[in-house]
Amino acid sequence: MTPTYYLVLSAALFTIGAVGVLIRRNAIVVFMCVELMLNAVNLSLVTFSRTTGTLDGQIMAFFVMVVAAAEVVIGLAIIMSIYRTRRSASVDDANLLKY
Amino acid sequence: MEELHLPPIDYAAIAPLLLVFGAGCVGVLVEAFVPRAWRYRVQVPLLLAGLVAALIALISVADKRVSTAGGALAIDGPALFLQGGLVALGIVSVLLIAERRVERGGAFVAQASVVAGTDSDRRQSSQPGATEVYPLTAFALGGMMLFCAANDLVTMFVALEVFSLPLYLLCALARRRRLLSQEASVKYFLLGAFSSAFFLYGVALLYGFAGTMSFTGLREAAAEAGSEDTLLFLGIAMLSVGLLFKAAMVPFHVWTPDVYQGAPTPVTGMMAACTKLAAFGGILRVFTVGFADINLDWEPILIAVAIATMLVGAVMAVTQTDIKRLLAYSSIANAGYVFTGVLALSEEGVAGTMFYLVAYGFTVLAAFAVVTLVRDADGEATHLSRWAGLGRRSPLFAGLFTVLMLAFAGIPLTSGFTSKFAVFSAALGADQVTLVIVGLISSAVLAFPYLRVVVLMYLSEPAEDTPTVSLPGVFTSLALVIGLVATIGLGVVPGPVLELAEQASSFIG
Amino acid sequence: MADVTTGEQIVFWILAPVALGGAIGMVAARNAVHSALFLVCTMLSLGVFYVVQAGAFIGVVQVIVYTGAIMMLFLFVLMLVGRDASDSLIEVLRGQRMAAIVLGIGFAGLTATGLARGLGEVETEGLEAVNAVGNVPAIAAELFTHYVFAFEITSALLITAALGAMVLAHIERRKGERLTQRERSRARFAPGNYPAPKAGPGVFATSDSVATPALLPDRTIAERSLTDVVRIRELTAAEARPKGTDRR
Repeated sequence: MTPTYYLVLSAALFTIGAVGVLIRRNAIVVFMCVELMLNAVNLSLVTFSRTTGTLDGQIMAFFVMVVAAAEVVIGLAIIMSIYRTRRSASVDDANLLKY
Repeated sequence: MEELHLPPIDYAAIAPLLLVFGAGCVGVLVEAFVPRAWRYRVQVPLLLAGLVAALIALISVADKRVSTAGGALAIDGPALFLQGGLVALGIVSVLLIAERRVERGGAFVAQASVVAGTDSDRRQSSQPGATEVYPLTAFALGGMMLFCAANDLVTMFVALEVFSLPLYLLCALARRRRLLSQEASVKYFLLGAFSSAFFLYGVALLYGFAGTMSFTGLREAAAEAGSEDTLLFLGIAMLSVGLLFKAAMVPFHVWTPDVYQGAPTPVTGMMAACTKLAAFGGILRVFTVGFADINLDWEPILIAVAIATMLVGAVMAVTQTDIKRLLAYSSIANAGYVFTGVLALSEEGVAGTMFYLVAYGFTVLAAFAVVTLVRDADGEATHLSRWAGLGRRSPLFAGLFTVLMLAFAGIPLTSGFTSKFAVFSAALGADQVTLVIVGLISSAVLAFPYLRVVVLMYLSEPAEDTPTVSLPGVFTSLALVIGLVATIGLGVVPGPVLELAEQASSFIG
Repeated sequence: MADVTTGEQIVFWILAPVALGGAIGMVAARNAVHSALFLVCTMLSLGVFYVVQAGAFIGVVQVIVYTGAIMMLFLFVLMLVGRDASDSLIEVLRGQRMAAIVLGIGFAGLTATGLARGLGEVETEGLEAVNAVGNVPAIAAELFTHYVFAFEITSALLITAALGAMVLAHIERRKGERLTQRERSRARFAPGNYPAPKAGPGVFATSDSVATPALLPDRTIAERSLTDVVRIRELTAAEARPKGTDRR
């Protein structure tokens, strides 16, 4: 076994997240799928940090975590505000703009 | 262990960035400590002063070509030119955002947390708008400036998020049609987060390929490995998805019309002018510094993307009945024209691209300024049928809008012509004949919706309920004048700016 | 440490299925709270992978920041929005779900085979050399020299996040809009309002059912102890018949 196995796992997780974004319609769950994609990327970064013998990948993973934290705050605030207006968090209910 | 030493930082070179971010931070403090009645009067001069100071700082360091802060930032010609363009367009955007005369209290809602459609929401309809938008705008502009100067993938990613997050928020803050605005914001946010996940995966793969995050290191590694490497190929593909999303290129454009329509019109203007400029700044750096030596492999795909963007944007613009959506599709088509300049992959192409972005930015900001003025009792009247006969009601503004539309259509003596000429001649110079032919066809198709608006304004009878054109306040008038002067000025005497762009067209690193 | 130790292999083969299962469960679960918990499961497994591969620091940060802060925020908002915010099964775009799954399998196949083929024989450098001074000092040395500007700029992100949460979620009430205690007390004893708490259903009655009204001391029915729902409901003759619970 080599660290490549981690990368294959990461690709699988990333894909599951991407498929989830496309098929789920609850805005909060869609957002969770995006978080899964970010986690998959972090696994890749940490593994590559090991295979290349540099620390940049780990540092990038930290930056991803900071960004994810800020993004979650803003995203959930936006989803909350639309939910309070519409009383539903489904992406397809947000459809005034589709025509 | 040995002591850590901060890498040398050329503070003069990054002063413009620090000034814009500083204006944002002071703006947050103003929100915290200045009484509500005074905030607007403090925030607007503060932000404008910060931007003007940044512009002066940029002019004073215009000859600098350095890589600073441990190689994280490249303050080179394109970075400085694009930052200058961003600050100039940013000033005009801030003027539009700060307008409070046209609509009582401005285009932004007083308290976004009050549930839309309730009694308390109706009560706040005449209260002055939220002043938090000014620091948010400052952070967005600062992030875009950083994005154009980022010299490694880490800084680029952080900058991407720094300018995206405030934009997601600004989209949700419209005063009228709040539900539409919130939906636009959710869409922009979810798709933006999705695309930045792809960007990140690209970053991870490229890092795994090269073992470094800097563009110079990437280029060296790429030149060594040739183009066979799977990691390199997949990495470029994923990275491009994230960048093309921000630039609204087909097939990653679907968010654009919805978001442009739902967002408050001044913010739409800022997105069309500044975000597009920043996104292409990043694209230019990635493709000319990072992967210039392996261009043969990714070129066919990107040419296909450019062609699809030009055609889809133009054809969809023809079918639109809403002026904001029309401008959104036109901005997609324009992204395609800009991309032909990028694909020339020459210094001429870089110069043409940068000139196009600045010229287009001024015109599109002026166009959205006119859109904010055409109003009826429900706010902006954006449906095209409502614009019928506007030429008789208000000849001045109809005339102004006509000039802008002609500039979009690329009529000579407007900036639209010179900028299209700049990118297409650069593309011809690089033997991209197909791109130029498709670009010309697409421009011809795109002229139709523009001229239709003009014909509608002049030749149709005004209806009973034709909306009135509000008298613009000082800020909007100023923005309109700047936009118009730039549109005609860059069309009649493009020389100085074009020369400046040519001088600034070589990247370092 | 270019080689993968047996211990690490065992950890991988146990936790990789857990991570994958968590991910699939998150996408497949109907209930949003279940999705969140599945995702926590995946994140914890990834945290262990980080500890195994790169050192304790990033693994611990993963657990604290991702599972501890970010996922808790998700759960918090889910509870606030309503736990029943689950999806409907109806597809709006016909065939979108199948298309997405097919695309996803294709994408995963492409990426995974590409990675496996591209990296099959790649030498693993290992982190011993760079971690000679210790993992955390080594990270600090990189972070505060090469990436110091990006590090400082993340403050703009955090300020934006705080500002955004304030703008979108905090309702500012000015003086005069909020009721004072004095006004509340007056309203409570104003004519037309009943100051005491409502009698609970079944309090003075012989049954605990919500449908059994409270009885006043004079054995009349206390109307306000019944919810509107019960009153509106039509009863069948059999249901309306006396149950005989009054008499012994």
